[in-house]
Amino acid sequence: MNNERLNYGDRIIYMEGVVVDVDDCSISVDLKGRLGFFKAPKRMFICDTEPKVGQEFGWNMSFPEQLGPEINEHYVSNIEKERRKQQEMSKRLDNKEV
Amino acid sequence: MSITAETAKAHAHDPAVLCCRAEAGITIEPANLEDPSIFDDLVDSGLLNLDGCLTIEEVLGAKLTKTCDSLAPLTADVLDGVKAPSVSAPAVEEEVAQEAPDQAAPTAAVPVAAGGMLKIHIGEGKDIDLQIPVGALGGGAAVAEVPAAAVAAADAAAPAAAVGEERIVGTLTRKHFNITEVKRGPETKIEGTVLTIREGIEADVIADQELVKDFKLEIITPELYHTYSETVMDVQPIATKEGDSELGSGVTRVLDGVVMMLTGVDEGGVQIGEFGSSEGYLDENIMWGRPGCPDKGEIFIKGNIVIQEKTNMERRGPMAAHTAFDIITQEIREVMKKLDESLVVDTQELKSIRRPGKKKVVIVKEIMGQGAMHDNFILPVEPVGILGARANVDLGNVPVCVSPLEVLDGCIHALTCIGPASKEMSRHYWREPLVLEALHDEEVDLCGVIFVGSPQINAEKFYVSRRVGHTVEMLDADGAFVTTEGFGNNHIDFASHIEQIGMRGVPTVGMSYCAVQGALVVGNKYMQYMVDNNKSEAGIENEILGNNTLCPEDAVRALAMLKAAMAGEDVKAAEKKWNPNVKSTNVELIEGAYGTKIDLVGNEQELPMSEKRRLKYS
Repeated sequence: MNNERLNYGDRIIYMEGVVVDVDDCSISVDLKGRLGFFKAPKRMFICDTEPKVGQEFGWNMSFPEQLGPEINEHYVSNIEKERRKQQEMSKRLDNKEV
Repeated sequence: MSITAETAKAHAHDPAVLCCRAEAGITIEPANLEDPSIFDDLVDSGLLNLDGCLTIEEVLGAKLTKTCDSLAPLTADVLDGVKAPSVSAPAVEEEVAQEAPDQAAPTAAVPVAAGGMLKIHIGEGKDIDLQIPVGALGGGAAVAEVPAAAVAAADAAAPAAAVGEERIVGTLTRKHFNITEVKRGPETKIEGTVLTIREGIEADVIADQELVKDFKLEIITPELYHTYSETVMDVQPIATKEGDSELGSGVTRVLDGVVMMLTGVDEGGVQIGEFGSSEGYLDENIMWGRPGCPDKGEIFIKGNIVIQEKTNMERRGPMAAHTAFDIITQEIREVMKKLDESLVVDTQELKSIRRPGKKKVVIVKEIMGQGAMHDNFILPVEPVGILGARANVDLGNVPVCVSPLEVLDGCIHALTCIGPASKEMSRHYWREPLVLEALHDEEVDLCGVIFVGSPQINAEKFYVSRRVGHTVEMLDADGAFVTTEGFGNNHIDFASHIEQIGMRGVPTVGMSYCAVQGALVVGNKYMQYMVDNNKSEAGIENEILGNNTLCPEDAVRALAMLKAAMAGEDVKAAEKKWNPNVKSTNVELIEGAYGTKIDLVGNEQELPMSEKRRLKYS
């Protein structure tokens, strides 16, 4: 991994977002301005007080850039397996509930 | 921004650059100068050219002869009354540079003056470094002539001669039993080297915890290493205490050739385990032989637990998974307790030795404590067990002091399921390299290990790190190690621990995965001695289990660095950007000084290259 592969890596923008969910492990943030959503481990957030829904966070970020057109089959296969498993399992869950 | 007289003194040999526009005729004071710590960036971006620039000590008190703009480097042609540079050139840069570049503060590593090496450093004038193998002194080998003035310094650097009596404060015996085959059968038993696990034990695991909805047990033999697996949550040794022995003392029985491996998902099929995951083919995702990982050739008793939907991100989810999985381990432990002595293949005696008169050191291990899979069970009754243990988060993340033998006897049951490459699994503590290295080093007196959690909130982080500072002060330690796993906001308390210990005058070596992605969030002036645990080629979290965890080679470097720090030697500051060569240079220096060979562990490059890594990371 080399950030030399980025063409616009130095375009750093200040971003803000609103906390929409906090669990024991992660914090979910809606990016202001309808720019998306992200969820990241708690350890990657710096908090002076207990993180709570509705609080605002700020950070610097840049644009994610495509590193190439290649499709990594291993990731695809993992994602596929994951998706199938989740489907199967939630089907079982639905049956149980019925 | 202008600097103070104090900063000017600290940076006496750094370039002098005006912080703001200055009129001709003024006398240069610290308030006219810019802070040299920002120059690297300015030079990199081409905004500043330091060619011919004088140093701060040269320009202070001189008269400016020409009006200059801000950020103008001060050169001889715009000043009148420049002082001569001080005689002592900055003390010779130490041989070992710090390894973990830190954005805010510097670090550096200097080994030496330890082991079988007598090192003499002469700072004045011509800067001469001499390294003479101690053995060679007696053997009449060529000895360089040492200027008289340097001899006194050499005496000071020589290892303290007064040595107290060594005292054994505890022993732990590990009896090893070999297992070559694991199979299923009507009852759990061990016959010879064959471990049989009761069929239907799965039902007991499921019944044990309300949150556990399903469970599957797999036996992974080396032929099956190329099997797809969910995220590995933990790798644990199978060990039990013999008779009335308590954890950290007496006798522990352990099975060789087999480990417990826990994986899990919730009912919706979502992985338990933070975000970074190591799902995929086992042989492509495990860094074999790391302290926390399986060794190649071992059999895995692999359990896949399914917990109630959506509890994977709550504390109770991972806790239930670990607790239920321990049902199987406990059943094996009960069988092990009854094993015949004749099956013991190896007996290992671990001794906790105190060495009065030697430099007293303490190891502070920071463990995750932000919640859920950022938690650890501390001090169970059985090695890496559940019963009797207290969760680090429930203890408020405060420091808990344990003996080195308790660490090696599995006093930590790690729930931590953070980024795979840098997390310390339960087995890591069982084979903790720094504890082993410090325990066996005859030049230091390891007084104990302090575990401290990393809370989420800054106020709590500083609360616990102040406790760490006071604890180390009470110990009257001469030196300390602070280690941490993973990266992220735990680096805030990691830095704070080092500050709290450092401000008490105790040199502190920090150890963490840093490199590229884990670059430190904060720094302070006490973070001068840093060892980077990175092993990955690119310096990143590369999803390979255990890749960037603390290994023996890191422990050796940290010890050498701490000894140098305790001997009062300067350490070269880290380079601005991560540079893996610093580590190799340090290793070479240590090898030269000790006359030993340090075997470096491999990294992901030696695993079968998965397509994903080839495309993603190469």
